[in-house]
Amino acid sequence: MKKIFTTNIQEWATLIARLILGGVLLAAGWIKAMAPSEAQSSVRVYEILPVKVANTFGLILPWVEIGIALLLILGIWVKWSGISGGALMLLFIIAIGQAWARKLPINCGCFGNGGITADGKVHPWVYATEIMRDLGLVLCAGFIARFPRGKLSLDDKKLM
Amino acid sequence: MADKAKKAKKSKLEGKDNGTRNIVIGMVLLVIVVGAITAVAKNHANSGASAPSAVAASDGYGIEFNKTAPVKVDIYEDFQCPHCRDFEALNNQYVNNLITTGKIHAVFHPMSFIGPESVLTAAAAACASDQGKFLEMHKALYQQQPATENSGAWTNATLIKLGQSIGINAPSFSQCVNSGKYFNWTKNIEDAAASANVNSTPTLLLNGKPLPQSDYLDPVAFQAAFAAAGAK
Repeated sequence: MKKIFTTNIQEWATLIARLILGGVLLAAGWIKAMAPSEAQSSVRVYEILPVKVANTFGLILPWVEIGIALLLILGIWVKWSGISGGALMLLFIIAIGQAWARKLPINCGCFGNGGITADGKVHPWVYATEIMRDLGLVLCAGFIARFPRGKLSLDDKKLM
Repeated sequence: MADKAKKAKKSKLEGKDNGTRNIVIGMVLLVIVVGAITAVAKNHANSGASAPSAVAASDGYGIEFNKTAPVKVDIYEDFQCPHCRDFEALNNQYVNNLITTGKIHAVFHPMSFIGPESVLTAAAAACASDQGKFLEMHKALYQQQPATENSGAWTNATLIKLGQSIGINAPSFSQCVNSGKYFNWTKNIEDAAASANVNSTPTLLLNGKPLPQSDYLDPVAFQAAFAAAGAK
């Protein structure tokens, strides 16, 4: 009996993790998809990709985010959509980390702003909070990938 | 979970119920692919867009003054951007002076990433340019900048009124504003600014080189940078 109970809790936890990661990705993706020039800028500011590549990537990325978000929320290919969402977050962490190290202002079109103000001052917590948020989401993704079986998932045959 | 149960689950997944799931998967993939392709396809500059006079694709579709002056200054701004207003309050007179005395080749890129009222104001400024009143309209738009962005303060009617306040009374101006003649041009400006790697406003390029962040709100440093670039 005890085992069933813990499985039950795990399945709810997986659902919650899916909704958190999926919800954030959906919101971030949707905001950027509706504001393409800001989405492009939010890739350019990290100065990782050449401008042309960054501009194209900035247009496609929001739709990738929306896609992974929908898969997570609906519960399709849960393990792999969880891994993809986590990989995306790791990518963001690397991007923010190197921007912080290089003192690049990050005007992310979605949640945060700046990192460096007009007077040239660096504000570490801007980078730090973004990295913390993404780390939390990586934890969600890790949980989903480890325990993909969850409530209200289309991967679950009982629902169909 | 027992192997038996796993197998049972698998065989059931492959049954007819799998159809519903496949349809959902198909729809999700369709959304992503159509969304991404449309976003990329829509992004190219539209060479057929109506543009105000004296605009060249090679100069990012910006509104130009003194094309032959030796010092080129690109000015990327959004009429709704509060930083741009602060910047203009400090430096507008100095820059306008350099333009009217023919000392600099100025290229204005009115951007519209802040939202719908940025599109309206940028397009209206282009209409004013057709009337030979761009600099006046530009100045007036910053002087009258509403406290909040996209608050409904800028409409075709209020922009036409603003035009009248600086002496634009030609019916062709109100026609230009009302018809949204330059809406597509504002997209070309955005597209060119993206290619020019402009990530915040205001951004000024002096002979193609970005002005350091610290110079925007410091008129002494600002004028020194212009002098160093050869504009005095």
